[in-house]
Amino acid sequence: MEILKKSQSGSFESSDIIILIEPVEPNSGRNIDIDSSVMLEYGDTIKALITSKLDSYNISDIHLIAKDKGALELTINARLETAIKRACNIQKATMH
Amino acid sequence: MIFEDTDFRQELLDTENPLDVKLLQTFLKKYDFDFNPEEVDFTMIVYNLNDDIIGTGSLYKNTLKYVVIAPEFRETTAFSIVVTYLTDKGLENYKQCFVYTKPTTAKLFKALGFSLITTAEPIYAVLEFGYKTIKDYQKKLEKLKVKTVTENVAAVVVNCNPFTIGHRYLIEKASKENEIVYLFVVSENLSAFTFEVRWKLIEEGITDLKNVIMLATGPYIVSGAIFPNYFLKNESWNLVSQKQAEIDVNIFTTYIAPILNIKKRYIGSENYCLTTKAYNTAMHKILPENGIKVIEYERISVNGKDNYISASKVREAIKEDKLNEFLNFLPESTKNFLLSAESDSIKAKIKQSTARH
Repeated sequence: MEILKKSQSGSFESSDIIILIEPVEPNSGRNIDIDSSVMLEYGDTIKALITSKLDSYNISDIHLIAKDKGALELTINARLETAIKRACNIQKATMH
Repeated sequence: MIFEDTDFRQELLDTENPLDVKLLQTFLKKYDFDFNPEEVDFTMIVYNLNDDIIGTGSLYKNTLKYVVIAPEFRETTAFSIVVTYLTDKGLENYKQCFVYTKPTTAKLFKALGFSLITTAEPIYAVLEFGYKTIKDYQKKLEKLKVKTVTENVAAVVVNCNPFTIGHRYLIEKASKENEIVYLFVVSENLSAFTFEVRWKLIEEGITDLKNVIMLATGPYIVSGAIFPNYFLKNESWNLVSQKQAEIDVNIFTTYIAPILNIKKRYIGSENYCLTTKAYNTAMHKILPENGIKVIEYERISVNGKDNYISASKVREAIKEDKLNEFLNFLPESTKNFLLSAESDSIKAKIKQSTARH
């Protein structure tokens, strides 16, 4: 799937994560910046969640920024899914 | 007591409604802010269920302004509600959002994920958040960097609104005295002459100076976000301008000069504008401490010593329809442009405007 536009999801609140996505040049790969208040302990887990979500949407070229404030796994997945759907213009039946 | 998000209600301020504005001004006055609705694009307010204002924040382009949370609500989510909303809107149109705050509150924004760019003690810290950061600007500069054999590398920062023989003189001096000169052109489009026009006139006017590399300043040197007072209608030399200038110069010494190995900065002496004077003062104060020499040249004059060349005089002349008397201020590129129909819209804009730059 192709990233068509910039998108954002989540918030700066504690126990949440903010995800920013922007399109990049074709074939420039994935550029993922993660920053977390629990980086040492969970940085790799967050990275793995992002990678597997991008894999499942077949996204190979993307710039993704994640600022985490201790979000749970399901929150991270939900925020990722929303940001990706917004960026790919495939979000349905929700208000933007 | 613990507050939940659902205990809060957020609304946009109706800036057309003087009562609403007054209400917010009263709230902000308690925290020493003089709220001016004309300085912002929009303002959001967070209320509790009693309808008391507990927090607010405004956005002007991509700069967060007037972000204040009442002390008894600072432990709540109110702060992140305000900042999330403002950055969300700001990032719709820009690559990053900036916030100017007191150095003591910078840590609150840092905790949210903003990164600190620099501070000008004791009143300002500047932070940013978004898709692009100053590191990306550094990477861009790294790519445009020219390999040199000596340490003889200088920078000149110009707005050139429009390009005069005074600018040409300064750039030529730098070009002759150095191996490489990086010429930064202010890319913010807040001046009478657009960035594209300013860039083109300079480019055509310095084709013979082969060691001058032109670069755009991006959002980090003399931009509306970093140095807003530079673009104000009335010039001022107060603490605010002075500190904004210091922020600008700090960014130059910390992030830009080291990447390009810049050892000198060329500036023209300022006889007119107080804001630019504040800028020069900041450079003389900060650059030498960081190993960058400031080389200041007196402005050149034509027909007598007191007739200094200045771009603002050229704009003044356009305004008063006496450009013909000032043609000797202009290099060929600017002269041809101003005498052609291409410049009609810019000239019309200058005639209507009251702005300084």
